Amino acid sequence: MKKIILAAIMLATTTVATLANAQTTIKVGMSGNYFPFTFSKNDELQGFEVDLWREIAKRNDSKVEFVTVNFSGLFGMLETGRIDTISNQITITDARTAKYAFSQPYVYDGAQVVVKKGNDSIKGINDLSNKTVGVNLGSNFADLLRKHDTNNDITIKTYDTGIERDVALGRTDAFVMDRLSSVELINKSPLPLQLAGPTFDTFANAMPFLKNEKQLALRDKVNAILDSMRQDGSLKTISVKWFATDITVK
Amino acid sequence: MEMALWGLVFSLILAIGLAVVRTFKVPVLNQLALLFISFFRGTPLLVQLFLLYYGLPRIFPILVSMDAFTAAVIGLTLHFAAYKAETIRAAIMSVDRTQMEASLSIGMTNMQAMRRIILPQAARIATPSLMNHFIDMIKSTSLAFTLGVTEIMAKTQMEASSSFYFFESFLAVALIYWAIVSVFTQIQVRLEIYLNKAY
Repeated sequence: MKKIILAAIMLATTTVATLANAQTTIKVGMSGNYFPFTFSKNDELQGFEVDLWREIAKRNDSKVEFVTVNFSGLFGMLETGRIDTISNQITITDARTAKYAFSQPYVYDGAQVVVKKGNDSIKGINDLSNKTVGVNLGSNFADLLRKHDTNNDITIKTYDTGIERDVALGRTDAFVMDRLSSVELINKSPLPLQLAGPTFDTFANAMPFLKNEKQLALRDKVNAILDSMRQDGSLKTISVKWFATDITVK
Repeated sequence: MEMALWGLVFSLILAIGLAVVRTFKVPVLNQLALLFISFFRGTPLLVQLFLLYYGLPRIFPILVSMDAFTAAVIGLTLHFAAYKAETIRAAIMSVDRTQMEASLSIGMTNMQAMRRIILPQAARIATPSLMNHFIDMIKSTSLAFTLGVTEIMAKTQMEASSSFYFFESFLAVALIYWAIVSVFTQIQVRLEIYLNKAY
């Protein structure tokens, strides 16, 4: 009898010990359909965000679990604590800063107008009067457009998917997306599209965390790791791999 | 797919319960059933899924542990049960009144008559409409990606976003949906032959 109890105690203590040593898992939410940041090829999730988080997890000696959710569901997942953070090029805005604690910016970008190839009448944000302009559901480009739309004559059309196809078909005059994705889209897709003029409104993207003690501690760790990745150039390496340029600096 | 099958079973059970309550106009329960049907038919499925998965846990923190799959099944169940309840009620009403009266006259209770005489006849009438709802449910599972269930439609979008074969991907997924629904249409044909045997 005593032996059994002893064995049970030993078993219990070893289990507790392994649990204590077990690596923590960071749950990272992403949409999985934002090429080339997060996308799936041959059933394997990959992209800039995926590479970045693998490296962060490695340096933090923790595991990372990628949770793919439709963009409109990402903040709900964060709010209900089902994921620790969102890694999907979330732009820092005042409204979001009021509610979430952001990591340091890890990508700097600008808004870009894209039109159908051959449409030279639109050369940038100032030529969009009386045009229909597409933006993606849940992105902040609609707000950005409204800010520039002083005469209130831009028709904004919101898309869940298929924004680039409607512009290529000529149903919508232009779409506004971040510059990096736009360039990538034009290079990789067979659709007839072209950039229209320079970018407007440079912005910074970062990862939002909930404002509680545990999540803030995680945020600080992520910040420290991002600092070290900047210093030894690995952040740049990941950027160059996907964009052939360093998008992590202004 | 698995989502739709679970949803089918649970929503059918719930819908029969609701339909019976509505038919007999059971006090209190009838009013609750009316409210239930009104709400779940009157709001979009996507809104219901959002409320269930992201809204409720803010009021009842314990619900955070509910996984996305369960939430999707519950959402589909509640939503389609509301529709199916009305379909089944219509089928029950279409069974001639004399059937009920005859059952009661030989000493059956209301519930016995319902179970042994009315529902089997109503099932035959309700089958085609119920299959409509089920097919709709199969296709509605694509909304579950909003909760993080990566089902066939989400996979398609994710693959298409990197390969840019949008037309091909969506055509492929359309054919898959069509094939699945065809299988269930065949099941419906068999089921109808079986239920029509007595006629």
